[in-house]
Amino acid sequence: MSDNATGPASGHCLCGGVRYRAKALRRKVVACHCEMCRRWTGGLWRATAALRDEIEIEDDGCLAWYGSSGEARRGFCRTCGSSLFFDHVERTTLAIMAGTLDQPTGLELAFHIFVDDKADYEAITDDLPRLPAGGHGLKYP
Amino acid sequence: MTDQEKTVRATGRCHCGGVRYTVRGPSRPVIQCHCEMCRRACGGVWKATAARRDDITIEDDDCLTRYRSTPAVQRGFCGRCGASLFWNHDERPYIGISAGTLDAPTGLKLALHIFTDDAGDWYELSDDGIAKAPGIPQDMSALKFPAE
Repeated sequence: MSDNATGPASGHCLCGGVRYRAKALRRKVVACHCEMCRRWTGGLWRATAALRDEIEIEDDGCLAWYGSSGEARRGFCRTCGSSLFFDHVERTTLAIMAGTLDQPTGLELAFHIFVDDKADYEAITDDLPRLPAGGHGLKYP
Repeated sequence: MTDQEKTVRATGRCHCGGVRYTVRGPSRPVIQCHCEMCRRACGGVWKATAARRDDITIEDDDCLTRYRSTPAVQRGFCGRCGASLFWNHDERPYIGISAGTLDAPTGLKLALHIFTDDAGDWYELSDDGIAKAPGIPQDMSALKFPAE
């Protein structure tokens, strides 16, 4: 798979209150080990991304947004608590939590980022690139 | 010894700090659950420790929200920031705690992968030397709580 596209794809939260369809997924999956992502998911943050104008989100008033920093907000389901989206103001894409995608996704894991911040119980055992901070460099279309 | 006199062994919180907890007792080694429900709930791969119900004290600013994901299980999350925090089975003496919400250092080790038959196709279950169970584990020895 190229770095730049697969799809279409669909997904939903645990209770089904938030559902989405993406015309294409524009990035492989990135695993983020930073403290913020760890606390937000409770586990390990793994996300792909879609262009904003290629994703349709339906929610029954369930989608809530939390401003996690000056530049980013995180979307979750207020009914079941599923972590769904990461929305950075400077990007043309919306990051989608890979765990919420319907299978099969056709995606693969590409990078580990912020590995300097990884939890002490976390062992990275694959051979994928590991970056001490962000800036994975995966290109968008 | 009263509960409050027991030493705090672990602390944690959600992303925004609206839900905070302390654990005054042993914490279970970490399991990684690959089932579809846990994947959807956390958005990634769920990793959980656990502590005995009586050893956990939760403080929240009216942020802790509960969702009954099966007849016997409630999941707890922060209604303000959306962090996934707790997995609470009605009939078990302990509560699962999302390991990502623990303050570092945790001193914990990953001990078991469960529901590996349901793992997402977007990651490899690499040979990390950790025991793997296709569903619910038959051998629960890796999940024993350490001695006091």
